[in-house]
Amino acid sequence: MANVKISNLNKKYPNGFHAVKDVNLEIIDKEFMILVGPSGCGKTTTLRMIAGLEEITSGEMQIGDQIVNDVSPKDRNIAMVFQNYALYPHMTVYDNMAFGLKLKKTPKAEIDERITKAARILDIEVLLKRKPKQLSGGQRQRVALGRAIVRKPEVFLMDEPLSNLDAKLRVQMRAELIKLHNDLKTTFIYVTHDQTEAMTMGTRICVMNNGLVQQVADPRTIYNSPANLFVAGFIGAPQMNFFPGRIVDGKFVEVEDHTFKLSEKMMKAVKEKGKESAEVTVGIRPEDIKISNSQEGISAKVEVTELLGSDLNVYFKIGQRSYILKTEAASGIKLGDDIYTVFDSEKLHLFDLETEESLVY
Amino acid sequence: MKKQAKDKLVFWLFLAPALISFIVVVILPFFMGLYYSMTDWTAIAGVKPNWVGLNNYKSMFSNLAFQYSFIRTFIFTLISVISINLVSLTFAFLVTREIKFKNFYRAGFFVPNLIGGLVLGYIWQFIFKSVIPAIGGLFGINFLEELLLLADPTLTLFGLILAFTWQYAGYIMMIYVAALLNVPQELLEASEIDGANFWQKLWNITIPMIAQAFTITSFLTLVTSFKQYDIIVALTNGGPTDIYQGTVVNSTELLAMHIYNVAFKYNNMAEGQARAIIFFLVLSVVSIAQVYYNKKKEVEM
Repeated sequence: MANVKISNLNKKYPNGFHAVKDVNLEIIDKEFMILVGPSGCGKTTTLRMIAGLEEITSGEMQIGDQIVNDVSPKDRNIAMVFQNYALYPHMTVYDNMAFGLKLKKTPKAEIDERITKAARILDIEVLLKRKPKQLSGGQRQRVALGRAIVRKPEVFLMDEPLSNLDAKLRVQMRAELIKLHNDLKTTFIYVTHDQTEAMTMGTRICVMNNGLVQQVADPRTIYNSPANLFVAGFIGAPQMNFFPGRIVDGKFVEVEDHTFKLSEKMMKAVKEKGKESAEVTVGIRPEDIKISNSQEGISAKVEVTELLGSDLNVYFKIGQRSYILKTEAASGIKLGDDIYTVFDSEKLHLFDLETEESLVY
Repeated sequence: MKKQAKDKLVFWLFLAPALISFIVVVILPFFMGLYYSMTDWTAIAGVKPNWVGLNNYKSMFSNLAFQYSFIRTFIFTLISVISINLVSLTFAFLVTREIKFKNFYRAGFFVPNLIGGLVLGYIWQFIFKSVIPAIGGLFGINFLEELLLLADPTLTLFGLILAFTWQYAGYIMMIYVAALLNVPQELLEASEIDGANFWQKLWNITIPMIAQAFTITSFLTLVTSFKQYDIIVALTNGGPTDIYQGTVVNSTELLAMHIYNVAFKYNNMAEGQARAIIFFLVLSVVSIAQVYYNKKKEVEM
């Protein structure tokens, strides 16, 4: 069992910077938990506190049944993969992987066996005698993973392990990490700033900003019902459209000259929160704006198009405000086209103007 | 003039001052020295040197004072290299940690290096002759009160090593500081997670990662110890005397000083020159071997 339980975790640096603020997070055994957020949000600091590389200012950290606040990294039964791999440059791949085991006085035969097995899983058997310098980025990444695997840790910690790889390799390694997680059946805690990695790999995602946890949920929930404006804007590419609106009679939302009817769920939430006639921020995902074939909907002018193979991002303007929508490349929309857009009112998100919280959350 | 020819001219013009002075003050004297070492030259005006072949070299190796000086120099160098490197590496570790006033300490350890060897020698003479016995007297420690570091032929060498270490360790520390700051923090953290304690980290990660610094520091300490002269002049001036295979010798007359004394004190210029040539050859071989050995241990990132 390797639950990781974080309670009221705080990190304050001597210079007064409060990097992690009252974080509460429970990571369930065998889960693939992703900590995601922009740089400086405290995700790496949190991971380093789990690893024991960073002292905890206040709060409690529990791995398994043990409170580990004062336990040194080596006794936490964890392994970590670093952003720059941190392979020992003066050792061969084999020695890199064997280093931790040798320190633990593991019998030589067992070291051999574990390394052979890990090397087979990662497809690096032929590289064992090489030095890190002679490896490509992707190979180094595998060795770093191998070094973690051979230790058979209860928790894997990964600090942006794919950020140094080129785009193609990153996609490939992403899939391999998911597979690795399935094979090893161990808890993974993974830090990234890339929301695509978070969405594709995580069992659950913990979105952080300014040292605070914004939302913890599975990827689908995070995407479909973001807890606040930050999560809504951070997750999803292209970004969600935001614009000011006003709720009327608890049933409609008025945006500039247009009125949208709220969904049943939304009406209920609006009523519960007493926001029947409040100013709100309205959000809608680019794929929830459709282009109408007939002349229904709101007329708009296309400003920029981005072709992404099968998809097409269309930046358009209604009045003075810019929006973005996502459609099929086959639609053939071009720069300067006049289009009619239909906002799917069922898919609108409403956020409180002051707290920035979602009204349905 | 063509551009290529002009470039060549400019190249040689810029090189000329350095090249000419190097030839005049290093290369020429070296070969002249080689010639004089095979004569009976005394540097007395009007006396023509006579060719004596390898006589100066032959007599040198049977000369007990030279033998003794050679051995003492090797002992001095060996212990100095070890003690300076140990002390400076320890200092470097201390001043690269997160401690208060670390820049003050860095500067403090470095300052002795700015004091000239002669002045430093007299300072330590004062410490050894007056301060240490005084402290011994004050606290009633007989051992310190009676410790005459500069009177005992065996101990004096260690007195020299102490003073020399004090002078040079700060300088070598700076090289180690630069090297230690270059060790990627991630590697140390990775090894920590791998389960390494302080000594295992030091031995398995830090030391291999600063191997490049070892090449430089070993070379500098080796060569400087071997050529040590000024501290010795001020601190002991070669004394006290010792008996080596029945001959009276000066216990701290290391090679550089020995050569100076033979040449200028006893006015055997040619003999001194021959010993200087051997000194040069030995030092070259030892230091090249050291650099070659250290280079092999360096890590390429």
